[in-house]
Amino acid sequence: MVILDKLKSTIKGDLEVIDSEPDLLVIKIKNKKLIKKLAWQIKEEFDILYSLAVVDYSPDFELNYIFSNYKNAEILILKVNITEKDFAIDSITDIFNSANWEEREAYDLFGIKFNGHPDLRRILLPEDWPGHPLRKDFKVDDEIRNWTGLDLKF
Amino acid sequence: MGKEKIMRLNFGPVHPAMHGVLKVILDVKGDTVIKAQTEIGFLHRASEKIAEMRYFSNYYPIMDKLDYVSALNMEILYASVVEKAANIEIPPRAVYIRTIMAEIQRIMSHLIFIGSFGEDIGNMTGFIWALRERELLMNIVEKVSGGRLAPMYICNGGMFYDFPQGIEEEILKVLSVIENKVNHEYNAMFTKNQIFLSRTKGIGIITTDMIKKYGITGPIARASGINRDLRKVSPYLAYDKVDFDIPTEKEGDTYSRFVVRIREVLESIKIIRQCIKDLPAGPYKTVVPWIIRIPKKDTLVKQESPRGEMGVFLVTDGSDKPYRLKLRSPTFFAIHALQELLVNIKIADIFVIVASIDPVMGEVDR
Amino acid sequence: MISNYIYSFVSKFVFSPLSYIISFIIIAILAVMVTALIPLFIGWVDRKYAARIESRYGPVYVGPFGLLQNFADLTKMLGKRFIATNIDWFSFNFTPIALATSSFAMLLIIPLGGPGLEFISIPYSLLFIYTLLAISPLLLLVAGWGENNKYALIGGFRGAAQIISYELALIVVLSSVALLSGSYSINSIVSNQSSIWYIAYLPVTMIVFIIAGLAIIEREPFDVPEASQELQAGWKIEYSGIRYGLFLIGDYVKVTVIAMLVTYLFLGGWNGPFIPGILWFIIKTAIVLMIILTPRWVLGRPRIDQLIKFGWNWLLPLAVLNLILVELLVVL
Repeated sequence: MVILDKLKSTIKGDLEVIDSEPDLLVIKIKNKKLIKKLAWQIKEEFDILYSLAVVDYSPDFELNYIFSNYKNAEILILKVNITEKDFAIDSITDIFNSANWEEREAYDLFGIKFNGHPDLRRILLPEDWPGHPLRKDFKVDDEIRNWTGLDLKF
Repeated sequence: MGKEKIMRLNFGPVHPAMHGVLKVILDVKGDTVIKAQTEIGFLHRASEKIAEMRYFSNYYPIMDKLDYVSALNMEILYASVVEKAANIEIPPRAVYIRTIMAEIQRIMSHLIFIGSFGEDIGNMTGFIWALRERELLMNIVEKVSGGRLAPMYICNGGMFYDFPQGIEEEILKVLSVIENKVNHEYNAMFTKNQIFLSRTKGIGIITTDMIKKYGITGPIARASGINRDLRKVSPYLAYDKVDFDIPTEKEGDTYSRFVVRIREVLESIKIIRQCIKDLPAGPYKTVVPWIIRIPKKDTLVKQESPRGEMGVFLVTDGSDKPYRLKLRSPTFFAIHALQELLVNIKIADIFVIVASIDPVMGEVDR
Repeated sequence: MISNYIYSFVSKFVFSPLSYIISFIIIAILAVMVTALIPLFIGWVDRKYAARIESRYGPVYVGPFGLLQNFADLTKMLGKRFIATNIDWFSFNFTPIALATSSFAMLLIIPLGGPGLEFISIPYSLLFIYTLLAISPLLLLVAGWGENNKYALIGGFRGAAQIISYELALIVVLSSVALLSGSYSINSIVSNQSSIWYIAYLPVTMIVFIIAGLAIIEREPFDVPEASQELQAGWKIEYSGIRYGLFLIGDYVKVTVIAMLVTYLFLGGWNGPFIPGILWFIIKTAIVLMIILTPRWVLGRPRIDQLIKFGWNWLLPLAVLNLILVELLVVL
């Protein structure tokens, strides 16, 4: 894909190509601070954030940013690792608006903080839900089983 | 009198006309909406977490309940991702049967849309007529798979049963009935109905920029002039062997979304007819053990579900269960656009616009 | 007048003061039966007709052809628990009674298929029926307010706005008929049509009357105030049980009255050759009723602003134009 050379010239060295097929390009960057810079580059070729899949390889968490466009079937998967110690990454909502709810979902289910997100709230689970269920260390215990939600008075 | 009072209305999650359990919080001034917030998650069943606890073959029932209006599309999608990850080749007959069933399910889903869209405008008869036609297809799905809403028909490597004898002629008969009804009755009921036109034309316009801004796909995008259908762009199943068109409209209002879906029904009928004509003989499945182990890799498969591009991102680690399964649901993105769509409209238009998005909350909340 | 017939019939057998009491009781029973049976029967017709359009069966189990289904439903409604909370008690309970009473009163005033076949005979019966129809916006507002529900309030305001914009057209139409016949009494309007029906003079007025009448009684496609999709049931939302049942019966009474009025004002009422007048009346009313019931099942629902614009921009000017034409007709 054309985009690969552009990305390589933007960040020298810190880019690892994992898989390259005609319609699929999987790359990985080590430095998570580069995500915004890369997103601006990707915006030229790809229209939307197709999906944001977070994978829990504790203590590392791998963020798979999947980009797509409306012209053809090309897919770009950008992998970024973040560690549990520094559990935050820059939000790309101001670049890809479609990332808004996907980042909220990642925050909801994994607890990842997205710096600069306009409205970082839980989206699928209730506001007062204990814990982040898609993490591998999430245990379904009595607190979850007996969870009844907010105490509302009528 | 001073400033005008603003009333806050909660539409959903138990509003009888709301599709599923979507909640929209509206600030209304008189009869005009000035601000809308959407809330989702009322049907969250942790499908992605359940996937991590089940064998690959045991996840099909959960896929059925994602988009329960088009369950077979979901099953086929999941089967495709597992087969791609495990390098399982499926026989050509299975490919064709899957294509036929996917298109039958697409017609059924669009019929539900047509009916509920008419119903939201106040036309109860359209709803019952659409369900009447859906029932014919429902019977076919029942004959083929044994189930109706959640058929559990697809399995790794093919499907559980072959087509029963003589089902092809029955499908063709039902299709001609539906084609006739869509061409005549539905046109009289909807597209030539002046009240229907005045309620839908020019309402809830989604521009091409908005489509790209929110990442909307599927019929909604095609109604806004984006000519993209995964069945053409990256053909899967037997879609590269059949001849069909992608209906597109330019206006992007609720009416064009309706027309796109009606025309998609006719295209689906075309596809099924060709598939039945070319249906090859031979085995209907590759025998695969129930418990399979897939080596460590990431697999992404995306297919055109009736609501847009549904994708599955499967991460495996060599065990007999998925390590992570991420579902990309198309309506999740379309619902996001509602907060911009539902502003400066009348209260009566809310349900026309929400219905034109055609959300199935099982798929949004997962 | 029905009461006169009954009184003269009873007084043949019983002496004077007792005959008055007995005939009073008979009239009361008859009035209740008529006002209850007609709407329930029309309700059955509506349900069966809708079912045929939608390729369903409709009611089949209770009684022959499901004829008694509405009685069963009404009996069920009587047993419902009162569940509304935080309501304004007086306005909540007053509205169904007032609306049902105003509907039933129409059936007592309108002739039931023959000259003088009405319970109460008043010379301005047309005007009185119009007044009873025109009470409802006030009652809708009261109901919408008393329910303490936002949807009900919106529905009440919508209903008031809609009815006010259509009742003006209705009174103009009624005046043009009255102008042509020289009377506000339905009996004399019908007897004036013995040679030629008014539909010959006023075809457009009849269409305007049907549309405005449907809008006033909130029959679909003009059911914007109770839009079951947007406002759930609009101003009826908190009602249940027999209070809701009264609204339903009142609706069917109004539908019947509108169909009867079309027959009386434009189609010559009981006038017709060969067969008895009451049969003519039933045939004509049935046809009009079918025409009135059909739009509910084949049309959608317009938006409130489109509806009110239609009322002011098209219906009222058309009605006024017709009134002027009728005046010219009468003067020349």
